[in-house]
Amino acid sequence: MMNRTIKRIAWGVMLLALVLYPWLFGIYYTNVFVTFAIFALYAVSYNLLLGFTGLFSFGHAMFFGAGAYATALALTHIEGCPLLVALLFGFFGSVVLALLLSPIVARLAHSAFAMLHLAFGMLMYTLALKLRGITGGEDGIGGFPIPPFHIPGVVSVDMTDPLNFYYFAIAVLGGSLWLAWYLTKTPFGQIIVSVRDNDKRVDYMGFKVPQTKAVIYALSCGFAGIAGSVYAMFQDLISAAALGIGHSFAPIVMTMVGGVASFAGPIWGAAIFAMIEELTSRYTERVLLVEGLVLIIVVMFFPGGFMYLVGLIKGKWLGFIRGKGFGVITGQWFTKRSGKKATEDDS
Amino acid sequence: MDATTAMYVAQGIHGLAYGMILFLVASGLTLIFGMMGILNIAHTAFFMLSAYFCYQVVVWTGSFWLALLVAPIATALVGVLVERFLLRKIHALGLLYELTLTVGVMFVIMEAVKVFWGTENLPLLVPPLLQGLVDIGGMEYPLYRLFIIGLSFLILGFLAFILYKTRLGMIVRAAVADPDMVNALGINVPFLFMFVFGVGTWLAGVAGVAIAPILTVFPGLADQMGMDAFIVVIVGGFGSLGGAFMVAVISGLLSSYGVQFVSQLAPVLMFMFMAVVLAIKPTGFFGERE
Amino acid sequence: MNILETKGLYHDFNRLEVLFDVNLQVKKGERHAIIGPNGAGKTTLFNVITGTYKPSRGTVFFKGKEVTGAKPHHMVRLGMGRSFQITSTFSRLTAFQNIRMGVLSRRGIRFNFFHKVDTMGDVTQETDEILKRINLHGERDMPANTLSYGKHRSLEISMALATDPDVVMLDEPTAGMSKDETRYAIELIRRLTEGKTAVIIEHDMDVVFSLADRITVLHLGEILASGPPDKIRENKAVKDAYLGEMEG
Repeated sequence: MMNRTIKRIAWGVMLLALVLYPWLFGIYYTNVFVTFAIFALYAVSYNLLLGFTGLFSFGHAMFFGAGAYATALALTHIEGCPLLVALLFGFFGSVVLALLLSPIVARLAHSAFAMLHLAFGMLMYTLALKLRGITGGEDGIGGFPIPPFHIPGVVSVDMTDPLNFYYFAIAVLGGSLWLAWYLTKTPFGQIIVSVRDNDKRVDYMGFKVPQTKAVIYALSCGFAGIAGSVYAMFQDLISAAALGIGHSFAPIVMTMVGGVASFAGPIWGAAIFAMIEELTSRYTERVLLVEGLVLIIVVMFFPGGFMYLVGLIKGKWLGFIRGKGFGVITGQWFTKRSGKKATEDDS
Repeated sequence: MDATTAMYVAQGIHGLAYGMILFLVASGLTLIFGMMGILNIAHTAFFMLSAYFCYQVVVWTGSFWLALLVAPIATALVGVLVERFLLRKIHALGLLYELTLTVGVMFVIMEAVKVFWGTENLPLLVPPLLQGLVDIGGMEYPLYRLFIIGLSFLILGFLAFILYKTRLGMIVRAAVADPDMVNALGINVPFLFMFVFGVGTWLAGVAGVAIAPILTVFPGLADQMGMDAFIVVIVGGFGSLGGAFMVAVISGLLSSYGVQFVSQLAPVLMFMFMAVVLAIKPTGFFGERE
Repeated sequence: MNILETKGLYHDFNRLEVLFDVNLQVKKGERHAIIGPNGAGKTTLFNVITGTYKPSRGTVFFKGKEVTGAKPHHMVRLGMGRSFQITSTFSRLTAFQNIRMGVLSRRGIRFNFFHKVDTMGDVTQETDEILKRINLHGERDMPANTLSYGKHRSLEISMALATDPDVVMLDEPTAGMSKDETRYAIELIRRLTEGKTAVIIEHDMDVVFSLADRITVLHLGEILASGPPDKIRENKAVKDAYLGEMEG
């Protein structure tokens, strides 16, 4: 019970810190934090697929971008579009895209899954570049109105004020993170973790695997869409770069650096990268160089990522192996060529 | 030969030249992936690195031919070091980690060239011997492009010969098909891995030198070539040289003719083609590896 | 009553014919062993019955209804369970989590996003009870891949039973086990399949003759003989096919 109280206090402190953050650190760092939070949700959404379901996507950026564009277009073309509606556009934009793709991808072998996402991702990127009429091409869409947070008759909060936007953003992103976390604790969460481990066996326990994958896929993409949506509103600009390969790499490397076997890992990964960018860009333009080195060092020496380090410090080295009960991704579909899937037909 | 046909042929030669360069890069990549299962994201960075090495050798010695010899080997050396000291250690962790590592290597190489050579386009001249035009059937074609095609075929032939007519080649092909079995036969597989990685990188290096005079040397070289090479490997099939060749040539011709006549659609066509192929046959045209 | 029946079952893989005119009949409540030399098609037969493959020809009946070509998850929901020759558990999850999957399935808890699964008391209780029955309660929180081979196989078998099926299909449950582990497994299987129907592929004749009420012999994809153990023991064709493999 002591543990519980300590945890509650810790969360309380953290919440307080979040609320006070802008007052403590100023507008510039507030904006940095918002960017971090966006990518934290984006990376976590990605890890729902990778770390929890074992599906490796090479093109998650297209869902991030879909959410961003959906919101931007809604705000640009719909007169007086309310804030939350724009957000919903972002969420559903991604979900619709995911649902369109899921019949194709839900039954694919893992490597085909990854590559097909790469292909579709690049396709979306190219479409975004070429369809200048809709997407504004390389320059993108920008300067759309950011509506206030408006409850009729009660309150209207101006969202162009970075301070207000900060609270809105962390409410949305934090709420989404909590939802994603809660999802992993539900029976459905158990099923997707089992799918990662042995999807054939899941079938043999009486669960419909393709439908399960489709649901988690849609949810993961939906969360990515929310992240993209907030991103678009935050920048008041969205261009094709959001769909580019760089944005597809970002959640992967953030997840790897943070620790792929845990829920919080990608959040830490996003934080680490945000800090690297901030610190490095003061001294040099070669931020990618530092990031590349960090990647190499992490993979070579701390493959479990930051959460592994945390586990070490906590003295629970089993944390790496068990990954807080969900197991470590040593790459289910990347088993060495001598490893066969356990249900191989024999006699 | 009338002007229109000549234009088509000229387009064809451009396309073929680009396709052959693409094939050189892709062949290295597909060999590396076919054998070691590493999707080496940094491969195109090596391609670019070699172009920079080539530039440097020319700056120091003035000789393109020397650069053609030295730069790919130097690049291969870097590749071998990466394999030996980085990739090998984490091989057991699985593809995801290999992938992340090679992304890191790519970032490092891409930024390192900016540190050493700056960010501008560095011009490189076609060597005097290969400058100028050649007369074929009444029309004139750039000699250098023809040289590239010829060189690529030469290398391809050499590669094919080694792979299919020598014992070494047989071992490599066996290792591509079943690395564990080859290991069990007592062959030093780690050394073989290193060798193939080196050769694959060398191929990318040759392509880098070849393309340098055409595109000039600049940090964006890796991006430009990058996606195309990966698409070729994926669609042609991981580990399949024949598939890579076919797709690379088609791709080169497509983008060459496409650029002229259907400019906006060319990249879209490529991606849709890839997506369709994968949806129908998830291992690519000729690939066997899952 | 035949709870499981195949009629005129054929199956081939790209022209390679593996099953010929297989007419299997399993009576409700019996323990039915399927034996035969390697390559006889036993696992393929299982795969066809449990839904991994759709047979090239013929029909499968389960509880009197035709289920030919039904997918595995459907067969499980109809009341069938299956274990695999090569252990196929959720190796990185704990023994508890493995069994719990079966309990969740049986209770129809699938697309449930609303409760924290760890707080579902009755699920936890049922899972713990199953674990106790198979003597794995001590290893409850250990990842499956850290279990000893014998215990891991026990878990494998139990997963087939975790959904409380009426018919359980066990594919070489004692594969790779030592003599002691085998003896233990026989008792476990006997205990866990009380009141259920069991179809067991086995190579170990001790297991077969300890457990089976009836035996079907498969050879080169065809049923050679089918009947009570004594009849099978005397059957000349079976002896010829097996040549000394059968020591009662």
